[in-house]
Amino acid sequence: MAECGEISMMLGAFEDSELEPNEMQEVAFHLARCESCTGILADYSTLGRDLRSIAAEPSLAGFSSAVIARVDRLPQPVFTRIARFLRRQADSVGTGFAWSGAVAAVAVMTIILMTPYARQFANRGANSTTAIATAEHEAAPAANQVAQATANEPTMADNDSHADISRLESENHSVAVWSEPRRDTTVIWLPDQP
Amino acid sequence: MVGVALAVVHNQDDAIELAQETFVRAYENLSKFESRSSFSTWLYRIAANLAIDFWRREGRHVVLHGEDAETEIGKLPTTSGDSFKEVSRSELSARLKQALEKLTPEHRAVILLREVEGMSYDEISDVLQCPRGTVMSRLHYARTHLRNILKDVAGS
Repeated sequence: MAECGEISMMLGAFEDSELEPNEMQEVAFHLARCESCTGILADYSTLGRDLRSIAAEPSLAGFSSAVIARVDRLPQPVFTRIARFLRRQADSVGTGFAWSGAVAAVAVMTIILMTPYARQFANRGANSTTAIATAEHEAAPAANQVAQATANEPTMADNDSHADISRLESENHSVAVWSEPRRDTTVIWLPDQP
Repeated sequence: MVGVALAVVHNQDDAIELAQETFVRAYENLSKFESRSSFSTWLYRIAANLAIDFWRREGRHVVLHGEDAETEIGKLPTTSGDSFKEVSRSELSARLKQALEKLTPEHRAVILLREVEGMSYDEISDVLQCPRGTVMSRLHYARTHLRNILKDVAGS
């Protein structure tokens, strides 16, 4: 059996469960047979409770504001002040660049998106002046007359051309109308007139 | 933080002041924190160092330094038993506070960090920057010292 002197050195750590497993076993084995060491251990346990009971609970009202006030009062080294100034400037310049970039991007996107509509509006104005010219009736009896309607505006939108062609075809079933985009020309084929 | 400072200086106002100073020092030296220990351990360490420096600077107490203090253990009576039952709570409390005052700040810090703050030996070793074995021997000394003082009270 281990000596009380040796074991008593380990009693505190035993109470705190900070010994190695084999040491815990050794102390426990000793305590089972030694009243003296068991008494010391009981005293340590009581001492711990008493220390916790007398521990004051400090009032921490205003603690954080006091810390912040002390931090604010700290003298700032010149280098730190210069660094902070430069950082603020860099931040504001960076912000300016960011805003300018965003505005430019929005402007470019707007232009790109609006261009087809702008074209369409421009074309509608031009379509009203589109003339469909019919070729003069030739003397040849079997010949069909081909009328060529040329658009004043070669950039006429496809949708409008198709709409016009569909309208003409529906009004007169004997008329054939087709478009020749390469020559910017709409061809209207009419049968012989009676 | 206040608890760590209180464990050393044993005065509530001083402890709060030191805890505030701990945060200010931490703010000033944040760039020196190297993440080798947890941030809380780093803060506790600053608090403990500040408190020990403060306590020494004040010089209001008779201190048994280092190993001299630990050899005092041999001079303490070693009677055994469940000693504190007969002592009244108020008297025990007063005597316990007096007994704590007589410990060195290192011994007081160790026992209060363990018993009141509930730190492990490794954490105490980290905070006070001393080997784990020193933590154990200081704890042993502090416990034996306090126990015997309280036994004397019970005996008288």
